[in-house]
Amino acid sequence: TDQKFFTMMQNTILRRAAAPLLRRTFSSAPEAAASGMTLNFSLPSETIYAGAKVSQVIVPGAAGEYGVTADHVPVVAQLQAGVLQIMHEGSNEAEKYFVAGGFSITHPNSVTDISCPEAVKIDDIDSAAVSSAFEAAKSAFAAAEAGSADQALAQIDMEVNKAMGSAVGLSL
Amino acid sequence: MSTPTTFWRLAGMSYTQYVTRAATALRNGLKEPAKTQAMRNEALSYNSATWAGGKAGSKKPVQVLSEAGL
Repeated sequence: TDQKFFTMMQNTILRRAAAPLLRRTFSSAPEAAASGMTLNFSLPSETIYAGAKVSQVIVPGAAGEYGVTADHVPVVAQLQAGVLQIMHEGSNEAEKYFVAGGFSITHPNSVTDISCPEAVKIDDIDSAAVSSAFEAAKSAFAAAEAGSADQALAQIDMEVNKAMGSAVGLSL
Repeated sequence: MSTPTTFWRLAGMSYTQYVTRAATALRNGLKEPAKTQAMRNEALSYNSATWAGGKAGSKKPVQVLSEAGL
């Protein structure tokens, strides 16, 4: 019984010693929220943001638009052509970029990586060019054989131009 | 490969081809001077090299990926 008691004591000591280490693995929610979210936004030709602290990012996901703030559940989303909105800390106005597509990956540590083939400022979009490109793509789509590569290309053009149009206030 | 579900897969395109075309459509809808600047990123060229015994063969420029056997 002495042996048993001694083993019990040993186990209690070991458990008590391990407890502080175990406690450190739990994150405390207030600490994580206070640290905010980090945005890495890059194109093949340039890095727009690297390690930027922002309060929110609204992402044009292919399955729907969604917002990311600190402590968002990790998500990998393919993007569709649409507007990416970045809300900087201490600002009410969103900084907007029109993106052609790409991917957005939100990690468990509140870092979001967004990678796009091309992104432009909304002000750089030419409404007239977009309307005529949309009409041309629409005709090409109708004229192409169903399921062909030409029809797929026309559909891509239509979708991107339609999204550009809605970004500048046209309804195509 | 599992059954393709997106229109571009069904038409035989890869994701890279799809997203590159979308980027082209975006660049074509821009105002100057943004358009000229963006068009610089438009240029794409491919080189193909065949590897044998751990060494790359000579590179040759390739116009279309199908020429390289892809």
